[in-house]
Amino acid sequence: MNSKSRYAWAYMMIAPTLIGTLVFWFYPAVYSIYLGFLKSENFGLVNHWVGWANYERLFKDAEFWQNLRNTMLYVVLFVPTTIVLSTFFAVLLNAKIKGRSVYRVIYFLPQVTMAAAAAMVWVIIFAQDYGLLNSVLGTHVAWISDKRFAMYALVAVGVWGAIGFNMLLILAGLQGIPRPLYEAAELDGAVGFRKFRSITLPLLTPTLFFTSIVLVIGATQIFDSIYLIIGKTNVALPSVRSLVYAYYQNSFIYYDQNYGAAIVNVLLLINLILTGFQFLMQKKWVVYD
Amino acid sequence: MIMRKKSATTAVGALLAASLALTGCGGNSNDGNDANGGASSPEASKAAGGDSQKSVTISYTIWDKNQQPAMEAIADAFTKQNPNIKVKVDVIPWGDYWTKMSAAAPAGTLPDVFWMHGGQFIKYASGQFLEPITDKVQAGEIDLNNYAANLGSIYTLDGQNYGIPKDFDTIGLAYNKELFDQAGIPYPDDTWDYAKLAEVAKQLSQPDKGIYGFGAKLDTQAGYWNDILANGGHIISDDMTKSGYDEPATIEALQARYQMILDKASPTHQQMTDTDAVEMFKSGKLAMIFDGSWDNGNLASSEIIQGKYDWAPLPKGKVKRGNIINGLGNVMSAKGKHKEESWQFLKFLGSKEAADITAQMGAAIPAFNGTQDAWVKSKPELNLQVFIDQAADATPYPSGSKSYPVWFAKESEIMSQAWGGAISVEEGAKKVAEMMNQAIADAK
Amino acid sequence: MGGAASAKQRSNFIIHLILIAGAVIMVLPFIWMILTSFKTTTEATQIPIKIFPAEPSFRAYADAIKQSSFLHYYANTLMAAFMKTVFPVIFSAMAAFAFARIRFPGSGLCFFLIISVMMVPNPVFYTPQYLMMSNLGLVNTVTALWIASLVSPFATFLLRQFFLGISKELEEAAVLDGCNPFQIFRHIMLPLVSSALVAVVIIQLLWSWNELQWPLIINSSPEKLTLSAGLATLVSMFGTDYPVLMAGAFMAVVPMLVLFFIFQRRFIEGVAFSASKG
Repeated sequence: MNSKSRYAWAYMMIAPTLIGTLVFWFYPAVYSIYLGFLKSENFGLVNHWVGWANYERLFKDAEFWQNLRNTMLYVVLFVPTTIVLSTFFAVLLNAKIKGRSVYRVIYFLPQVTMAAAAAMVWVIIFAQDYGLLNSVLGTHVAWISDKRFAMYALVAVGVWGAIGFNMLLILAGLQGIPRPLYEAAELDGAVGFRKFRSITLPLLTPTLFFTSIVLVIGATQIFDSIYLIIGKTNVALPSVRSLVYAYYQNSFIYYDQNYGAAIVNVLLLINLILTGFQFLMQKKWVVYD
Repeated sequence: MIMRKKSATTAVGALLAASLALTGCGGNSNDGNDANGGASSPEASKAAGGDSQKSVTISYTIWDKNQQPAMEAIADAFTKQNPNIKVKVDVIPWGDYWTKMSAAAPAGTLPDVFWMHGGQFIKYASGQFLEPITDKVQAGEIDLNNYAANLGSIYTLDGQNYGIPKDFDTIGLAYNKELFDQAGIPYPDDTWDYAKLAEVAKQLSQPDKGIYGFGAKLDTQAGYWNDILANGGHIISDDMTKSGYDEPATIEALQARYQMILDKASPTHQQMTDTDAVEMFKSGKLAMIFDGSWDNGNLASSEIIQGKYDWAPLPKGKVKRGNIINGLGNVMSAKGKHKEESWQFLKFLGSKEAADITAQMGAAIPAFNGTQDAWVKSKPELNLQVFIDQAADATPYPSGSKSYPVWFAKESEIMSQAWGGAISVEEGAKKVAEMMNQAIADAK
Repeated sequence: MGGAASAKQRSNFIIHLILIAGAVIMVLPFIWMILTSFKTTTEATQIPIKIFPAEPSFRAYADAIKQSSFLHYYANTLMAAFMKTVFPVIFSAMAAFAFARIRFPGSGLCFFLIISVMMVPNPVFYTPQYLMMSNLGLVNTVTALWIASLVSPFATFLLRQFFLGISKELEEAAVLDGCNPFQIFRHIMLPLVSSALVAVVIIQLLWSWNELQWPLIINSSPEKLTLSAGLATLVSMFGTDYPVLMAGAFMAVVPMLVLFFIFQRRFIEGVAFSASKG
């Protein structure tokens, strides 16, 4: 088979994905940048070029900086907690104990629950007067409308939903670690936590790296739980409002899709920086054999 | 391999067809044709159904689920007279309605006929998303003088008519007779002023039992807007150029309402977010609440307070008895596929017959002259007359400015900060004023 | 020996204790959802809380069904999930194979263009995609729910990793037999990555099932919504009538739960498998 016909086959095979991606994803992403320089009227049917005006307004807007801080705080709380707890449960489940598969199924349940449905239950679990959580703890805390707690409540919901999936990823990573390594370490007298520190953790770093990248990208986009658990008239909204929530509000409720576009364009830039940073830092902690 | 691909395509095709059938696209769902029940081949039914080929389904979108039965009854009555036009009534809840409509408008996918609100009207009419009905009005197909007060004029812009009045609404004071009886306090009447309301609310509250005298909720039309007007304040200046939220009289009215929460005469904002104030009233935990005439059906649906509640006029304020009157309209999309049929339905919605159905089912106070009485009598055990009586001196809803959709959406977010105690009421009111003035300037 | 065994037993006991505590937290929200859905509105907001309804009531289910279009929600969600699962898997597998196993001019650039999209947060796409759908006349249609997701850069990236890991010999033998690249792909490579395909199907399925923001933006008529957007509508409609909300939530999660219990091994292995090449 000559190379020309090989090329033809290759182009044909990538064509659907390439064309689809360019049309439905690549072009919209570029168009979003363009939208950030416009100001539209009449529901977006009339547009004027305004240059950097949207961004100037954005950077002067105290609310934007608060939203950015909220988003970053969520990432900083959510990602490490999820990774630590997922690793913890993965290590426990990696031991030879009875009922492993049952536990795996149970821990995966939140993942197969629709996020919107789960969010709705959390509302009545967190409710101040008749909430399940306050009844169990004997407290009277306004978990989702006290600005001191609302962010943690959202993180808890996020972690609850994410453990099952990430635990499985990490479990798969654990099972890829060759047994003989442990046996050698045991001969050296390593037990328990030392074994974990010196063998498991280093060999798990590639998996943890992958998981953390995916989690960070996801966490910067937090929206569903704010929309469904916190809600529009919650006094704690300013303390938890994310960039994506602000995007939604501005674009679809306040009729300002260009200001909304500016917000998510900044988010895009942040994500590129965060991912780039993670790849740079990778050399410092990820062990590849 | 080819076989597999083919069957996959067929499967996709079948699924597509199935989903199209499910969603009822195309609108020629002539399923009631019993005549060709026997001849089930597609050709046969096509030939036999020649007459029903013209049959169309139009969409009618509303935002109040409590009025859905009445709107469906009207649609049925219409279809009985126009067998080839079916009407599908969809409910998009108020909280999502304008978000959804603003996404649908530029895409040309607005419903054929839908409810319009005075505040949103200008945005949609000036964007040319609504079908003008001026020539039909001039041709005498419909007479806008048939409707109460000035309702016909709300849906007019630059000399063009766009909507037909549907109903009007005022606000009343709902009270739980049982809770008043238990405390031995006489029921509210037209002698009440705001001081009396606050005093009685305090007396009726038993916070340890979860019972409160008044629901001082964060609400505009059925909430503090009435307080503001009664106290001599403004929501927006009469010429729509300046917010009234920073006027001392406005701030004072807002503070008075908020004070009821501080006095434990009302549940907190948090409690009313966890359980809607109207829900609390429906479960007998609130002695009094402001609510709109449109919501009586909702209150009446509660088994707990059935026969135990009634209506009184709003209390008097320092300056007057404040009350907001608003009128909804029915409009049709400029981009609809079945404009002629939609017009027929729109005209029917404006008819006395439709108004009578609205009234008898207790859905809302119909706009059509002379039909209001039937609404009052739809629940003879309740003093619904208060809503009609208050209409005379009521203040029109502060619609009519281009900036309304923006500032109205933002208002509740700022005020919730005050109601939740994060900022003072005065601070909140001033922030709202600033935001409104900005929105007014932006809209030019 | 005996001491060691009992120490082991003790540590196993502790492990179980921790795992059970975790499991309770994982399951509790479901149980609470179901219990609440059978309560009356008053029972649901009673203080002190009531765990079991005095008399299980189906009122909430009746209301949720009456006031929303659950049948449409199911049909639309299913349709979207099907389109967003089957097509991306087919298209991505083809593209991934070409990128991994065929050297052709421009392959690097094309691959970069495709995966660069993965770095972009989803909300960046929504407004432009909405405008695009608007121009195509697809706003408020079921098609709009899935059309952009017929392709998946993520699946392409993941599957390419798997194709890269397959040894060369098999392929070379097939080339000698005169197979063209598509035949090699179809008959030799695809069976080898079948587990990866299952993993992609499951990940796409879960993702499609959960998606909230896009259906919320693009569709407005009740009969064009998905389950998740339908639930959001239910919240706006019923406010704080929690039994109705929980009834809706429960009806929304049931299909995926059933699917999960039937294919639990597939689900769990699929997810774990995707990790091995991530």
